[in-house]
Amino acid sequence: MDYGLAGRVAVVSGGSRGIGRAIAAALVREGASVVVTARTPASLDETAAALGALAPGRVEAVPADMTDPEQVRRVVDVAREWFGPVGIAVSNVIGHVIDAGKEGSGPGAGTFASMPAGEYRREFDHLLVAAWALADAVIPDMRDQRWGRICNIGSGVAREPATHLPHVLPNAVRPAVAGMYRMLAARLRDDGITVNNLLTGSILTERNRAYWRWLAEDRGSTVEEVTAGFTAGIPLRRFGEPEEMAAVVAFLCSRQAGRITGQSIPVVGGGSAHL
Amino acid sequence: MDLGITGRSAYVVGRDSGLGRACAGVLAAEGVTLADSPVGCDIVVSHGDRRSPGALLGPDALGDLTAAWDAVVRTVEDYRTGLPGMVSRRWGRLVWIGSARARAMDADDDEIGAVVSLAMMGLHKVVTAEEGAHAVTANAVLRGGSATDEDVAHTVAFLCSTGAGYLSGVTLTVDGGAGSAMF
Repeated sequence: MDYGLAGRVAVVSGGSRGIGRAIAAALVREGASVVVTARTPASLDETAAALGALAPGRVEAVPADMTDPEQVRRVVDVAREWFGPVGIAVSNVIGHVIDAGKEGSGPGAGTFASMPAGEYRREFDHLLVAAWALADAVIPDMRDQRWGRICNIGSGVAREPATHLPHVLPNAVRPAVAGMYRMLAARLRDDGITVNNLLTGSILTERNRAYWRWLAEDRGSTVEEVTAGFTAGIPLRRFGEPEEMAAVVAFLCSRQAGRITGQSIPVVGGGSAHL
Repeated sequence: MDLGITGRSAYVVGRDSGLGRACAGVLAAEGVTLADSPVGCDIVVSHGDRRSPGALLGPDALGDLTAAWDAVVRTVEDYRTGLPGMVSRRWGRLVWIGSARARAMDADDDEIGAVVSLAMMGLHKVVTAEEGAHAVTANAVLRGGSATDEDVAHTVAFLCSTGAGYLSGVTLTVDGGAGSAMF
């Protein structure tokens, strides 16, 4: 199926690894020009080179901290200068890690009783401001084109807080991000712009693997036991691949999905209890 | 109806005016003592500022959103301050008053109030899971339509009552039927 994305210009944040990289690759394969951003220049350059090999001249990389609205605006300006007005934006930013010294300790790890109130301000900057800033920066281009696709890579906890794991910050802040995009969808529906949330948490990424190692150490068990516990709770009995997130994003960005907006779509292997 | 909270103590944010005063008044009428700090309180009632409704797009959006988030940080602080006493007495009520837009997100008024309330609703699920065993409940009252401060205050008082002890992590919408969301 031709998704009609040839010639479109996309910005993908968190694009150097995992889900973001898979999304960038999928959009490139559908004919879009893609600017990938991430904080770490080294991995970003490697990703841009790999994706650029798929489509010479249609991939660029811009190192940026997407929690800073000024840097977000610069990324969008650069994308416009290189490729033209931006039509697709994928916000893929993870929450802040409390104990950076512990590899993979997971975003926002802590209980309500243990988490200082000030950390909710930092989480706000990471999740809400980043998602808001990218949408705010691309909406003028999209309004001019009367066409736009905005996606947020969120977490399943946005609709069903995961209270069995001590991650109070994403449990509190992810629902607010999803709601914000839902409300933006309502505001933008007459402009040809769709805004959707993808909700996950069970995708095989480097970050998740590091998280499982940390969790195993924390629980005094093995990685195999930890992952077996997770997959037992997933109806499809397996984790998802980054390409399976990318496939959903590519569809939501397609010409054919123009009437799908304001949705929060769980990509969790059936592990969503919400009707 | 005897709400069963005579002799309990409550910290109500902004009890000198408007919504806070209405909540404090209804609780006081039920025999609740009002305190100037959450320390040692059985009940904490919090809410954001009722300024003009905030919009997500426009030149002031990020500033408004950032300012509105202060209410989340402050409420977390107040909840956490009150929590140890509630746990030791095995009785506690945490109540957030927010915007009905948090459940019916198709209207374009008070979008920022809705964003903030969604964070509090997520937080309440965590508090419920982690502290429910200590008989501490955390619930939200979502205000919409033309609900008055008194309408909201009576619902807040109900959630603080002994009879509401099996409600936690839930929201009660007080909007006179204005909302379109079914669930």
